[in-house]
Amino acid sequence: MREEPVHGAGAASRSRRYPSLVGQWGPPGVILLLALAAWEGAVRLFHVQRWLLPPPSSIGAELWESRSLLLRHTWVTLEEVLLGFALALVVGVALATAIAYSRIVERAAYPFVIASQTVPIVAIAPLLLIWIGYGIWPKVMVVVLISFFPIVVNMVDGLKSVDPDMLSMARTLGASRWQLFTKVQAPASVPFLFSGVRVAIAMSVIGAVIGEWVGASAGLGYLMMRSAPQFLTDRVFASIFILSIMGIALFALVVLAERYAMPWYQWEKREKALGGR
Amino acid sequence: MTSTPPHAPGGIASSPKIELEGVCQTFLINGKPLPVLQGIDLRVYRGEFVSLIGPSGCGKSTLLNIIAGLEEPTQGLIRTDGRQAHGRLGAIGYMHQKDLLLPWRTVLDNAVLGLELRGMSRSQARRQALGLMEQFGLKGFEGSYPSLLSGGMRQRAAFLRTVLADQEVILLDEPFGALDALTRANMQEWLLGLWESWGKAVLMVTHDVEEALLLSDRLYVLTARPGRVKMVLSVELKRPRRYEMVTSEAFVRMKAQVIATLREEGSRPTQSEGQA
Repeated sequence: MREEPVHGAGAASRSRRYPSLVGQWGPPGVILLLALAAWEGAVRLFHVQRWLLPPPSSIGAELWESRSLLLRHTWVTLEEVLLGFALALVVGVALATAIAYSRIVERAAYPFVIASQTVPIVAIAPLLLIWIGYGIWPKVMVVVLISFFPIVVNMVDGLKSVDPDMLSMARTLGASRWQLFTKVQAPASVPFLFSGVRVAIAMSVIGAVIGEWVGASAGLGYLMMRSAPQFLTDRVFASIFILSIMGIALFALVVLAERYAMPWYQWEKREKALGGR
Repeated sequence: MTSTPPHAPGGIASSPKIELEGVCQTFLINGKPLPVLQGIDLRVYRGEFVSLIGPSGCGKSTLLNIIAGLEEPTQGLIRTDGRQAHGRLGAIGYMHQKDLLLPWRTVLDNAVLGLELRGMSRSQARRQALGLMEQFGLKGFEGSYPSLLSGGMRQRAAFLRTVLADQEVILLDEPFGALDALTRANMQEWLLGLWESWGKAVLMVTHDVEEALLLSDRLYVLTARPGRVKMVLSVELKRPRRYEMVTSEAFVRMKAQVIATLREEGSRPTQSEGQA
């Protein structure tokens, strides 16, 4: 066991933990460029029809030419995603807290939480349409249904995984039940919560598109459904492109929030990776 | 922490800070009763350092849990300051073998946890803690997260948290058990200095005979399960104690006596006495 703090070791490994921009984005960037080039070459070489498989260049052109149309539909989808995700976060955290604290709630609610994931969302979406009507809410509900699950499951694990000795320690310092929750259990569960949130945010985008497929008058999912029968295949691809950019951007935002909210967790992970103590 | 008056007024000063009378604890394991502690009588007076030593599984940790108020005994009385103590949880400091620092709090914010739980504002609590950082060897690391500290520093941070909570009795459960031998020797000396300037009642559980003798005024030796008090020894060594005393004749004699008593229990006494 070292008696000296380990700042020195930390500084030495910084370059390993935060690779340069080129080191981080270089390899996937090269693969992406190669794939696009192969795609473009193959389409031109074999004279594939544009409605069957448009080359990346014409998808790029479509992205630019229809930018205002695409942007309008992007906002609609993004709104559904964010609203649904925010609701899922609130519902998920509240439900997880109730489940972690009450055996009765756990036994009563957990089976339904799990059942909600076994029912195909695509099958529920039309029902939501009948019950809630058109407009933004049925899509938001699909997003909530699809993304609250990873939040609940991870948060419950987090709340339950707190070291019981840590709780005893807080109790001997005079912590009330509420303080045990706010000062020990809740902060201890935050890394778990973030794991759930990362999965949930990616699923939210999928949820919004499914919701729009079933019934919508705007949004990227709707645009895809409308463009396909007209053989506007490059527009379908343009929509897919924007959706994946949206997913990646939201995911990156979550990762940033995670680093900001839990600086200690980054240190701890690195210490473990270095085989600290 | 230094603001505690040396003696409380009235007759209270003469009653022990902690007094156990006939404390028994029995657990049910698969429906069968398993006695863990049997008729423990134990006293710790104000300003006294008392150690508890015994073979593994003699219920030492259970005993500390009971005194801290985390568990209630199946039988027996517990008094603090001569009064029967029901709501002791939160009134008695308890330091675990693990440092149990909250990884999401900096060293400073870990230290003030007890004050904060009692409703003191964080800024005021921090001011109070900052003045003690040097004494606890944590100066310059106030803003570090625990994962960046060495084992000894983490343990001192946990000590600081316990000390700041300003409870009149402090229980220590093998506080140096997780440290290497050299760090442990340093920490023992450091704790001695701290405690001598501090005047609180301390009850420490340890496996280490030498550590127990070096630090304590009195020493309780427990039997193997079910734990009973087998021997109470007053450690007749001058204070302030210094590490060199471990080679003195009185020390060696007491050590032999304690080890012999532990051996009778058919248990292997512990790790470090072979080193002296």
